[in-house]
Amino acid sequence: MTNPLYNFATTEHSASGDIFTSLGINGQMLLFQAVAFLILVFVLSKWVFPVLMKAVDDRQEAIEASAKAAEAAEKKAADAEEQLHELMKEARAEAKDIVATAKEEANAMIASSEEKAKSRAEKIVQDAHEQLEKDIIAARKALHNDTIDLVALATEKIVGKSISESIDKKIIAEAVKEQA
Amino acid sequence: MIHNFASTGIEIHVGAGTLFTVGGFAVTNSMLTGALAMIIMLSLFAYVVRKLQRGEYNRFVGLTQWAFEGMLGQVYSVIPDQKVARKVAPLALSIFFIMLFGYWMSVLPGLDSITYNGVPILRAVNADLNFTFAVAIIVFLVVQFMALQAHGPIGSLKRYFRNPVKDPIGAFEGILEFIGEFSRYAALSVRMFGNAFAGEILLVILAVLTGFLSVIALPPFMAFELFIGLVQAYVFFILTVIFTSLAIESHGSHDDHSLTSQDHSPSDTRKKHAAVSSE
Repeated sequence: MTNPLYNFATTEHSASGDIFTSLGINGQMLLFQAVAFLILVFVLSKWVFPVLMKAVDDRQEAIEASAKAAEAAEKKAADAEEQLHELMKEARAEAKDIVATAKEEANAMIASSEEKAKSRAEKIVQDAHEQLEKDIIAARKALHNDTIDLVALATEKIVGKSISESIDKKIIAEAVKEQA
Repeated sequence: MIHNFASTGIEIHVGAGTLFTVGGFAVTNSMLTGALAMIIMLSLFAYVVRKLQRGEYNRFVGLTQWAFEGMLGQVYSVIPDQKVARKVAPLALSIFFIMLFGYWMSVLPGLDSITYNGVPILRAVNADLNFTFAVAIIVFLVVQFMALQAHGPIGSLKRYFRNPVKDPIGAFEGILEFIGEFSRYAALSVRMFGNAFAGEILLVILAVLTGFLSVIALPPFMAFELFIGLVQAYVFFILTVIFTSLAIESHGSHDDHSLTSQDHSPSDTRKKHAAVSSE
């Protein structure tokens, strides 16, 4: 039995006489195919690939720009965070100062209020003492006068008549003074 | 040509079938399918470009942009020189997209069943050696041009021809490099052709063998073909970029047979050499 593959090779070869023809290679066709391919390459290079390359470049640029923007935003965020930390730090320090100052002021105010209250209380007490003194003096004086009047009245009753009001008062006052 | 393959009536042609001739020029089924792939691809790109210019976005535009950006990123990561990368990117990206769309045409319904003058109308352009060879030759020329620009004529020649007395290992390596310059591009084109051609045959044979059940049997294989198409297009694309990078990278360290250079990190260079050697 004949091998069909062997037949395949020999039949083609024997029919044409040369290997290129049996493989279907033809100079004219090869040239035509080459020219057709070169035209295709030209058409693609001229009108298709530049547009696609531009699209790729644009996309690449957009990606790079986005990456840069993201990087800048990240840096900005980091700066803002740092700034925020600084501000917070400053604010805390300021708040601490304010609290300290407020405390000091409050203490001063308390001390001042205490001082004022104390002096006022002292003044009130002093006034009260003075008033009391005045009242005592006034009371004494009143008592003194009443005593003189009583003595004068008693003396008048005993003596029977009054000498004169001014002499009576003078005598009585001297008597009271002596007793005192 | 095999007539009546396995007695099923399937005819398998390594070369593309001629549908008709225009002024003596043969129009093949792969050309027609390739033109269809090109029109679909350009229409989709036109739609995406219009949307992008208007600043309108949707999922398809986003997907295209994502794929484009990913591929462009690959070019920039393999070729550290941004100027060279910008020059190579259009070619490499064109290769990726046309290979992808061309390959995906092989899963269109009607493969091998819709015929004109007895020739199937649909055949993936990647399953035509004329196309894969043409692209590989263009890549080869561009890579050599880049190398010439980077190293100058003498520098470029030094990549292959070194003094065997002063540096016998380097001279041998240069010869291997010279042979490799041709073999790697031949491999590049034949790999793509082999995968696309085999994929088409697989689908045709599977359709014939399963008969009416092909409605159920074919979709998983079609999906697999779509995936393979994506992988193969990517391989063609990335190898184009790697070959360019290898060609333009500094060869000043050849005297000490080091793979490192000032332009690339050792790990990058190792990766590239590993990728090439794995071919």
